[in-house]
Amino acid sequence: MTAGLLAAAYIAAFNVARTRLGVPENEGGRARRAVLAGGALLALGVVAALAAASGPLLRVLEITPETFRIAAGFAGVIAAAVVLVVPRPAAEPLPRHWRAALWPVAFPLLLGPEVLALAVATGSQEGVAATVGAAAGALVVLFVLGFLPRRPLPDRVLVWASRVLGAVLLLVALWLAVDGIRDV
Amino acid sequence: MARRLLLHLTLLGLGFAGLRLAVVPAEVCPVVSAVQVSHAADEAAAWIVRNMRDDGRYLYGYDRDVDETSAQYNGTRHAGVTMSLYQYAVAAGRPEVVADADRGLAFMLERLTVGPGWQAWQPPGEGIQLGANALFVAALVMRRDATGDPAYDDVMRAAGRFLLAQQQPDGRMYALWDEATGEAVPVSGKFATGEAAWALALLEGEFPGEGWGRAALPTLDYLALHRDRDEGNLTRMPDHWAAYSLAEVGPAGLDGVRRAYARQLAGYFGIRLRFEAQRRGTGINLWLRWVPGTPAGVGTAGEGMAALWRLARAEPSLADLLPNVEERLACFAGMMVSRQATAAEAAGYPRPGLVQGAWFYRGYVQMDDVQHVLSGLLAARPMLEQREVAG
Repeated sequence: MTAGLLAAAYIAAFNVARTRLGVPENEGGRARRAVLAGGALLALGVVAALAAASGPLLRVLEITPETFRIAAGFAGVIAAAVVLVVPRPAAEPLPRHWRAALWPVAFPLLLGPEVLALAVATGSQEGVAATVGAAAGALVVLFVLGFLPRRPLPDRVLVWASRVLGAVLLLVALWLAVDGIRDV
Repeated sequence: MARRLLLHLTLLGLGFAGLRLAVVPAEVCPVVSAVQVSHAADEAAAWIVRNMRDDGRYLYGYDRDVDETSAQYNGTRHAGVTMSLYQYAVAAGRPEVVADADRGLAFMLERLTVGPGWQAWQPPGEGIQLGANALFVAALVMRRDATGDPAYDDVMRAAGRFLLAQQQPDGRMYALWDEATGEAVPVSGKFATGEAAWALALLEGEFPGEGWGRAALPTLDYLALHRDRDEGNLTRMPDHWAAYSLAEVGPAGLDGVRRAYARQLAGYFGIRLRFEAQRRGTGINLWLRWVPGTPAGVGTAGEGMAALWRLARAEPSLADLLPNVEERLACFAGMMVSRQATAAEAAGYPRPGLVQGAWFYRGYVQMDDVQHVLSGLLAARPMLEQREVAG
């Protein structure tokens, strides 16, 4: 996997546009920074932990990394299909204060099944550093999007960006599955 | 909120359970030692020899559930089994098996026909075929390796010339010779082309400088570039004979096309063996993965992988394949040792001698099942020994 593909994979899997639509906002239409940062850091931590534990995890599950790429591809294809059909996330009930970083930002917006599977797949194949780097890059993009007020960034643009990222995820997922099949 | 959280967690859990069951069941690879693999090979060779007929033919097939032997026969498979017995004699250091393999060889030598500039054997009731003669040549090469006896050198060359008579300018091989017209029949054999490429490459090893290896290369390139399209295959064929050929021509015979082909083949055998390791044949796994595959099918994947292991060890540009190739090969050996019919298991059947040492697919074993697994195990053993030495 090239660095560019890895970065695209995480931007698409986190679907920064779709996630931005679901992030709790302040009155100015901007994302609540602390909540977004907290959720993003938590998601990054989970991705890093899964990437670091991918080897032992796959050994326990008795799955070769090559075969797991096929599974990650399947998860990605299903997630991409969901995004293409439902590009806007469901409005989730918001807890007060910092808890919104846990729910809904970290889960279910950021840590979807496709991200969890991708973290294991790329952790075992590309290494922890590359995986965390790509995930962190995608989360920085999300954070930047969070700074922008929604007015110059209308919903319609984000919804279409969400669909485009869904399509990118579909391509990455298919590539991942085919690569897992063709690998030794 | 709790309800929504529960909903998301339930969907996540169901999704991962579905993936686990349907896409990535556990790949179970029993760990076996080189000694266990040697024992399994001994048992397999003993099954072949024990069930040979007086005329030099082998037992073609046996259904242990209804205690019925097959009345069919196939010349190409006869040649392949004979070749595997000689392979066994060489690899396992069992020269006493040569006498038994020679009985199988005699069955072919007695049926040699002469064509324009070549000789070929013709199985009873069958035509003069490329595959049967390619494996005949391979058997003779293995015999020469086992015995050092040059008695059949002229026959090897004559049969090699038959293979060349079937070869087309683009490397394609015609699978049949028509005695009536005196021409090769423009049809392809599923595995015959790869078998012929291997036989030509083997002849180069026995008779270097006579041009046999040079003749093998266009056919290897045909396999790599054109065969699947010409034969209308939907996917590339995982041809273990092509892998044998690549290993035989070695690094000196590799170019970009053949190197890429070796990588592709490693991928085909890899997914075949990974998928096989997921098969339990019981419970829900039976519905999702069906029963463990035919021993011949798994055996050919093991043979192909072992051939590519030898090639990757010799060719630095393929060395990155070695860790995975070795894992899959070890998995193949573990699966097939554990699936072999033991003496205790055989004792439960009416004719234990037809069961012990064989591999069955849904109660039936065919001679090529035992041949391919035997060849695969023989080729996997050096890798296991090397790993054991390395700790």
